[in-house]
Amino acid sequence: MWTWKALKQREDGLLRPSAFRRGVVSSRASSLQLSNAKEFISLHRGAINSLEIDSTEGEGRYLLSAASDGTVAVFDTHRPTSSSTSSCASIAQHHPLFHLPRAHKFAISRALWYPVDTGLFITASFDHYVKLWDTNSTQVVLDYKLPAKVYGIAMSSIATSHSLIATATADVQVRLCDLASGAFAHTLSGHRDGVMSLEWSSSTEFVLITGGCDGAIRFWDIRRPGTFLLLDQSLSQLGTRPPLLPTPTPSNNESTSLPASSKSSSSTPILPAQKRRSHKKIQLKPPTQSSHPGMASSQNRATAHYGAVNGLRATADGFYLLSSGSDSRLRLWDIESGRNTLVNYEAMSIQTSKPIQLAVTPDSSLVFVPCLASLKAYDLWSGTTINTYRGHYESVNCCFFNAQYQELYTGSNDRQILVWSPSIPAATQIVYLYILGIP
Amino acid sequence: MSVWNYVVTAHKPTNVTHSCVGNFTAPNQLNLIIAKCTRIEIHLLTPHGLQPMLDVPIYGRIATLELFRPHNEAQDFLFIATQRYKFCVLQWDAESSDLITRAMGDVSDRIGRPTDNGQIGIIDPDCRLIGLHLYDGLFKVIPFDNKGQLKEAFNIRLEELQVLDIKFLYGCSKPTIGVLYQDNKDARHVKTYEVSLKDKDFVEGPWSQSNLDNGAGLLIPVPLPLGGVIIIGEETIVYCSATAFKAIPIRPSIIRAYGRVDADGSRYLLSDHTGLLHLLVIIHEKERVTGLKIENLGETSVASTISYLDNAVVYVGSSYGDSQLIKLNLQPDEKGSYVEVLDRYVNLGPITDFCVVDLERQGQGQVVTCSGAYKDGSLRVVRNGIGINEQAAVELEGIKGLWSLKSSTDDPHDTFLVVSFITETRFLAMNMEDELEETEIEGFDAQTQTLYCQNAINDQLVQVTSNAVRLVSSTSRELLDQWNAPAGFSVNVATANASQVLLATGGGNLVYIEIRESKLVEVKHIQLEYEISCLDINPIGENSTHSSLAAVGMWTDISVRIFSLPGLELFKKENLGGEIIPRSVLLCAFEGVPYLLCALGDGHLFSFQLNISNGALGDRKKVSLGTQPISLRTFSSKDTTHVFAASDRPTVIYSSNKKLLYSNVNLKEVSHMCPFNTAAFPDSLAIAKEGELSIGTIDDIQKLHIRTIPLGEHARRICHQEKTRTFAICTLRAASTEDMETHFVRLLDDQSFDIISTYALDAYEYGCCVLSCSFAEDSNAYYCVGTAYVLPEENEPSKGRILIFAVEDGKLQLLAEKETKGAVYRLNSFNGKLLAAINQKIQLYKWVAREDGSHELQSECGHHGHILALYVQTRGDFIVVGDLMKSISLLVYKHEEGAIEELARDYNANWMTAVEILDDDVYLGAENNFNLFTVRKNSDAATDEERGRLEVVGEFHLGEFINCFRHGSLVMRLPDSDTGAIIPTVIFGTVNGVIGIVASLPHDQYLFLEKLQVNLVKVIKGVGGLSHEQWRSFNNEKKTVDARNFLDGDLIESFLDLSRVKMEEVSKTMGVPVEELCKRVEELTRLH
Repeated sequence: MWTWKALKQREDGLLRPSAFRRGVVSSRASSLQLSNAKEFISLHRGAINSLEIDSTEGEGRYLLSAASDGTVAVFDTHRPTSSSTSSCASIAQHHPLFHLPRAHKFAISRALWYPVDTGLFITASFDHYVKLWDTNSTQVVLDYKLPAKVYGIAMSSIATSHSLIATATADVQVRLCDLASGAFAHTLSGHRDGVMSLEWSSSTEFVLITGGCDGAIRFWDIRRPGTFLLLDQSLSQLGTRPPLLPTPTPSNNESTSLPASSKSSSSTPILPAQKRRSHKKIQLKPPTQSSHPGMASSQNRATAHYGAVNGLRATADGFYLLSSGSDSRLRLWDIESGRNTLVNYEAMSIQTSKPIQLAVTPDSSLVFVPCLASLKAYDLWSGTTINTYRGHYESVNCCFFNAQYQELYTGSNDRQILVWSPSIPAATQIVYLYILGIP
Repeated sequence: MSVWNYVVTAHKPTNVTHSCVGNFTAPNQLNLIIAKCTRIEIHLLTPHGLQPMLDVPIYGRIATLELFRPHNEAQDFLFIATQRYKFCVLQWDAESSDLITRAMGDVSDRIGRPTDNGQIGIIDPDCRLIGLHLYDGLFKVIPFDNKGQLKEAFNIRLEELQVLDIKFLYGCSKPTIGVLYQDNKDARHVKTYEVSLKDKDFVEGPWSQSNLDNGAGLLIPVPLPLGGVIIIGEETIVYCSATAFKAIPIRPSIIRAYGRVDADGSRYLLSDHTGLLHLLVIIHEKERVTGLKIENLGETSVASTISYLDNAVVYVGSSYGDSQLIKLNLQPDEKGSYVEVLDRYVNLGPITDFCVVDLERQGQGQVVTCSGAYKDGSLRVVRNGIGINEQAAVELEGIKGLWSLKSSTDDPHDTFLVVSFITETRFLAMNMEDELEETEIEGFDAQTQTLYCQNAINDQLVQVTSNAVRLVSSTSRELLDQWNAPAGFSVNVATANASQVLLATGGGNLVYIEIRESKLVEVKHIQLEYEISCLDINPIGENSTHSSLAAVGMWTDISVRIFSLPGLELFKKENLGGEIIPRSVLLCAFEGVPYLLCALGDGHLFSFQLNISNGALGDRKKVSLGTQPISLRTFSSKDTTHVFAASDRPTVIYSSNKKLLYSNVNLKEVSHMCPFNTAAFPDSLAIAKEGELSIGTIDDIQKLHIRTIPLGEHARRICHQEKTRTFAICTLRAASTEDMETHFVRLLDDQSFDIISTYALDAYEYGCCVLSCSFAEDSNAYYCVGTAYVLPEENEPSKGRILIFAVEDGKLQLLAEKETKGAVYRLNSFNGKLLAAINQKIQLYKWVAREDGSHELQSECGHHGHILALYVQTRGDFIVVGDLMKSISLLVYKHEEGAIEELARDYNANWMTAVEILDDDVYLGAENNFNLFTVRKNSDAATDEERGRLEVVGEFHLGEFINCFRHGSLVMRLPDSDTGAIIPTVIFGTVNGVIGIVASLPHDQYLFLEKLQVNLVKVIKGVGGLSHEQWRSFNNEKKTVDARNFLDGDLIESFLDLSRVKMEEVSKTMGVPVEELCKRVEELTRLH
């Protein structure tokens, strides 16, 4: 119903092409199920810890996977290597283009594509090494020895003036490895425990976000010393804007007489102004330059989670940050104000021992969270569970959303990579279809 | 075709997206400014209607258009923002009658998600700032300083994620916006915010209103003294301010456009999705609002924008039908409507499908489009050239000349038609029954061939025959005077005007005779060295009865000469070159510019600009109009003079923007033509064709001629069948309830466009595509229709049908049907079989004869692997598929295996809107972000990987949403023309009503034009300082890259509109003479 109608409306100029695209993408993303047309043949003999597709312009084609047996593999997500024809439908099989055994001595915690092209990729391992690989020769071109197990690495996809790999290790310091020089460029001190997760800002190339086992999420501007923002779960976003009038407007009485207000019971005004004044701005402003900014922030013991922060993901528009913690909570943060949006994501249980890889759809409508052996999709704004994906036999460690064709790839301790694809070409459930229809 | 493509617009966008009214061109002038997606038009309001002042292209798709008046300014400025985040502020320069840029800039942010609900651009009524909502969660502010200059922009976070509308409120001490938004639970609310310029942030505003109508979609700010906003919902309209709240229920409707009537904001015009126009009145006692009232005024096109002009005259801009200028009457007419349509402006958009046909079988394509939507749905027949509508015809063989005569000099109408034959002359006249009847003019010689005939001054008529010139009184019809050719000589050619006669006798004798009162006076006689082939003394100076110049075409030296009158002194001799003699010369003036036209015996035409005072000729140009001798004649249409060139390809020559334009006429072969304006056939032409004399009226003189066939329902697909001379269309008619639509397959006669047969589809069955084809071993022509069952409870069509119809006795006969497992998006004829695109699958069907002689479709093979195979084209065994989101893939049908396999595909994530095969290796695609691109097959590549990849070879931002490509051409392809015969073209149709051409150029021509384009970009500056390079760069969610292997024909052809100085500037940098450049660009203009 939707696709046909939307196609027709797009043809008539009733539906903007961009809105059409977004509608199709979001409806497909919310209808994922285990694919019956595509499978990856994993040769990994250990838990799959990392999955990533290159983000290079126009491609987005190669899936990089890394496992705890120290192996790395690359798959072509577009072109199957063979297809097995069973009784009814044919399943496209994707064998690895290459599979590197013994890439690291111990488990690989994360593998990344070099953001600019697929000629290089980077792996991080519990063997304390971060290695840079040439994809074509599958040889190590550069390696860094870190003082502890490496939990995670990140490169900024928007950086133009630096090529730094940020590393999260069991050590308290975050180290930045400079690809240009092959040396460590920087260390960032502030966390009180190992760092499990990290993410570069998607809006400025100099801002790094790290989540530690101490429950803190710190924002760093790599050009300055110290943390400039520390997220505090008790600070909510409400009331950041001062009201014009000391009391709310008296028009509320009349609103009940509105002919169309049949739904009024369900929704309260978004920002009840009077409640918000109680919060004080403690953390908002960066500390003044005079008093050793780095030191000042390190005194702050505000936490984002009770327990380790094991997953971080910024939304594509750079406004929001999602964090997951070993307290089995997912929190949505407004980055600019540094405040907790208090979206209540429904019950989940998140594995505590390892960093996990979260995924967000590009339109920020859905977040995918590994929850032990299943994977859950939540509506980002309301926190309601949209779907629970069950297919793996053991804990899911990582997931990656392929925005191009709305496929989800998940990797698990059961050594499988599963493909979740839209059950129907383009589904229904467009809640705001009507708005979209207005040209 | 090739990878070097030239893209040009044949029909400009007509979809009106924005309009506004203000004092733009002068403080005392009221202007209507209209945006048609990528163009703006400025009109002046005059007592006689709208007068166009300027029509310019904008290098961008216009997202917002607003007039505003900064402090201390006497007239308005225009603010334009484009969809690719450029903005500019324009001011009118009265001296040059052009736009000047006051400010321009870029308002894009590197991150942020573009809004789904359209960009919003608003200007504070007190002109303190411009507000833009371009990305979800951000409100961009461009403040004005005290002098009205723009300051640096900044962003404010907007917590509301799904913003539906934002407007500035009137009468607030600080700039205040009202935001209509939808929350997570789909409830809609309005909130107000004050913009604090100092803190660069919002402060909560004076009021808010929660839980509005679920369909609330539009805010109308109300000016002082009332203030506040009107919130338009689908079932209620609410007035809301800090102190008042009033609501009225309305009949459920979606209101998309409004126009304010009074400056005090107490009345508004609203137009809903069915085209009903309403008047909303705010009832108030002084400044206290007491209620709302809504009244139905009548029906218009479905409006996208409404501008109240003045004196109850309203401009209704439409995206789905013709735009209109209407008058609101005080009293309703008999149907109860207050709306009177004063004028209509053609809109072809949205073109959902079209076909290229040659209905008149003249070798010239015409396009029949499915245009408009809803009740304004129509078919439009678009053809290049001018139509002549035949009114009457008689059979007459061997016509050698045609002239019309008046019975007196002052008579507005013509009375006689003089028809000359080789041995006689006949006189026809209109009788009382408005029939043409043979008559006599006593003083004229009916026994010989007439060479020329003319109304002369003082109620006289003049006739030139081979042996005499006769002067006859038009009242008494008696011979008044006669001039006889000298013995032994006969008159070969002659011409005359109201007071002069010029004739040539054998031996190169040229005789000039003046017509006096009842007298013919031979004034001058000279002898030229060669025989004279043609003459003209059409008056082009100020005196309309007397010419001071004579044009003479010569045998032997193939020249044209300009003589003075009455002295017959040679002013100028121009050698034409070649061996073909001039057969017709004409002096004429277009738009005040005098020209000499000279037509040759082989269908070529020279045009010169003429200096009246000394006969000097300049700006020589040569075009080919046909292959046979041309005879030139002037005629008038709508008070403008045009020239009719009669030949095997009759052409009308006219002028626009001081450029000569040539439009062909929908007639096959015309030997002679003369204007014939009678009471019964006003403004008509008498036309001598092969064996026939006909009288017809001529259409408006313009390059493209559009004929509208209103359907009253929404036509979506069209296809022509040559064999049965019919069209089949898929239409839908919306019923009163929202989701119930009825779909039909209708059969139309291709001449009358009457619906001759209809097949109604089942309930919930949609017609998706229609194809005319025949099958292997069955040469009958069939119509194949693909459908989908769109059931309300189903997510995706899981069932459809392929219906095979034959046309029998003008009726659609269903011969076979085949059920499919999904929507049949496309049908193609393929190797004598039927290729269907059904959801994710490409499926091939055979047409198999059953034992009883009937046929059925049998599935042969298929190909999976698409997300939605929406667009399919075939060529030989190759199939090119445009996917919903997986760009283009190339499939091949293997006859031996009877299987379809994928050969290659483009791995870019292009969301397709149309595909076409240019040649065996190059495929053209249009995608969702208004781009065009070409991909090439790499069959010679070394590796499988490369062979399996379609290489992107061309990229271009068109700025138009293409729905359909078709091979074909809008112009007659002349075999001897320099370009037409070899340049293949593809036509496209877009949502905005654009008909465009993609032409594949030879490489050397491409390189030359590319160089020209580069040079033109330096000379032709975009309106508002917008960059051409950025505008044409391929742009989608992932990347922006410069255009390559596509040329912007609209820019290149605007070379011809440049002033001579600028042309020379370009010519200097190009190192090519201006004439050569003009010639090459003019050749291109003849592609469309």
